[in-house]
Amino acid sequence: MDAIEVNDLYKSFGDVKAVQGVSFTAEQGTIFSLLGPNGAGKTTIIAMLSTLLRPDQGDAKIMGYSILENPMGVKSVLGVVPQEIALYEDLSARENSTFWGKMYGLRGSILKARVDEVLEMIGLTDRAKGAVSKFSGGMKRRVNIGVALLHKPQVIYMDEPTVGIDPQSRRNILDSVVALKNQGMTVLYTTHYMEEAQELSDKIAIMDFGKIVASGTHAELVKIVGQLDRITLTINAEGSQVLETWKAISGVAQISSENGFLTVLAEDSNLVLPRLFDSAASLNVRITSVNILEPNLEAVFLHLTGRALRD
Amino acid sequence: MIRTFDIMLKDIHQILIDRQTFLFLLIMPVAFTFLFGYASGGFSSGSSDSRLPVGYITRDDSWFSQEMHELLADSEVIRLQEFPANKLDEMDKLIANEKLAAGIIIPERYGADFLKGKPIKITLIADNSATSTTTVKSAILSTLIRLDSAAQTANIMEQMIGNRTPFDYIFEETLSAWETPLIRISKIESSAIDPEVNETLAYISPGMMLQFAIAGLMTCAQIIVNERKSRSLQRLFTTATRRIHILAGHYLAILGIIFSQFTLLILFGTFALKVNYLRNPPATFLVAFASALCIAALGLLIGVVSKNEDQAVVFSLIPMFVFSGIGGAWMPLEFTSPTFQKIGHISPIAWAMDGFENIASRGLEFNSVLIPVAALLGYATAFFILAAWRFQVSQEH
Repeated sequence: MDAIEVNDLYKSFGDVKAVQGVSFTAEQGTIFSLLGPNGAGKTTIIAMLSTLLRPDQGDAKIMGYSILENPMGVKSVLGVVPQEIALYEDLSARENSTFWGKMYGLRGSILKARVDEVLEMIGLTDRAKGAVSKFSGGMKRRVNIGVALLHKPQVIYMDEPTVGIDPQSRRNILDSVVALKNQGMTVLYTTHYMEEAQELSDKIAIMDFGKIVASGTHAELVKIVGQLDRITLTINAEGSQVLETWKAISGVAQISSENGFLTVLAEDSNLVLPRLFDSAASLNVRITSVNILEPNLEAVFLHLTGRALRD
Repeated sequence: MIRTFDIMLKDIHQILIDRQTFLFLLIMPVAFTFLFGYASGGFSSGSSDSRLPVGYITRDDSWFSQEMHELLADSEVIRLQEFPANKLDEMDKLIANEKLAAGIIIPERYGADFLKGKPIKITLIADNSATSTTTVKSAILSTLIRLDSAAQTANIMEQMIGNRTPFDYIFEETLSAWETPLIRISKIESSAIDPEVNETLAYISPGMMLQFAIAGLMTCAQIIVNERKSRSLQRLFTTATRRIHILAGHYLAILGIIFSQFTLLILFGTFALKVNYLRNPPATFLVAFASALCIAALGLLIGVVSKNEDQAVVFSLIPMFVFSGIGGAWMPLEFTSPTFQKIGHISPIAWAMDGFENIASRGLEFNSVLIPVAALLGYATAFFILAAWRFQVSQEH
């Protein structure tokens, strides 16, 4: 069943066309990522799907509830993690969680139990009484995510939740996103970090200038560019000693030697790399370093838009 | 609906953990009440004023009338209690109830006619059977004689020496020569004097209370501003909480804070300053509640229109100074001209002051607060509607 069905959404702000005919579906219990540079329209889509903004055209259904006809139904199944730290910073983590739990309709012992569970989940039980304003950026982000999980939503939107935080906190957040999926939640995740979309997503939609320029699984997307894997090696001998032999190895499309590095273009690095090691051993040459660069979403974005993702 | 109370409780908690709240809502009004009280002699001679309270209504703005007002106000016999020109009925009632010893009405063109030598009449309302009436008459007559003598002397001198010395100068000099009269009344007894009531503080106390209630709005408004700035408001919209519940939650929080402030300061005024707020408790409650409704709605409006914390401070201080200044929180409006009194009533503070003074100072009945309360409710409604409209519009863009 599709948890999220988006059908031909449009939204303009004056002359600026923020979203232009966006459609996609996300299956229940999957992670669907919207990948694109800043200003691509990701947050506007989240705002429309959260019923904060009314689309100029089109509709969407969240767990079967129309954002136009039944916004309260949408809100009842939804948890939203905004891009900003949308918390009351003068209140403690527990006070914030309790307040937001009440806003999500939780009361009494259920509320208290869920607050305790979520504080445990985000690893802030020990700091629960501290004012959020005194927390580090990563801790704030964790609380920001935690309050959206209090009512166990069926669908959760996460709008660039890892912006501006340290690598360790980022790792924790990415792990928690996968954990949410494993609990059966549907996650709509926006990011401009290609690696995050690649690591987390079951399906990805690449956005640019308010439009989805491509969508599918990671594998489907990279097929669009049809690039070969690039294997860069160094060996303890002159490159010329292996060039001719390696050219003949099955799966090697091209090989070149430059500045002490050998560059091999292959259809599948997983198949070719063992063959290269075997060949090197038979030639009595030792491979001293290997770097594999698979075709990625950055390349796809570049291919489709003519610009780098971070431009 | 229960979410409204959750938001209210959250706001109150946020307001109370800000130390600034107590500074503006309690410490400052108490400190300034003492400061203004000392400055205007409210603590100088114990808690009572032994002069006879006399109502005073003037319909004449001339300098001559003002001279007379000053002389009467300085009297050691009578204590003027000013009423706006349209409050004759209230003054009458107080005289009938022996809350005032008498009432004086200065007619239109009084000063101009006096100086032209035309026959003039000052109306004195008093109970002829009361012993205090004779005292009041004597005090007024002696004042009029001083004025008349000064005017006559100035006229004669002007005729004798021509225009070399201005009339005004001679008049002032002659008037001051009579500053220490030969005969003075030093002991006055009347049922209109309430030795337990401090009349000076009866307008300073509500004035400071109302002024700093508005000043305290800056903390309340900042809560709303920060909620919007941090995008917590946007997040609230993603929950099943309706906009009107959010607005009502914020409003009730400010209302609760302001009304609690009023309650504490009214009790402080009653027991520490001897202000007679509890002369009519239901009326005082009604005025305090209506004032709180009005000021809370103003706070909500400030919170909704302010784009940042600095604006919230500025937008709180501007109405504090303007509304308090023209509304009689610093000085009774009765001391000003009838025109300024009308202008002053643009400010909701003027209506709140009317309500509190009618009870605590003028000793009027419950009905006397109904018009001020109606005006305050009107302001409260207007401010709330404006806030709700602005809230709706700002979220649509």
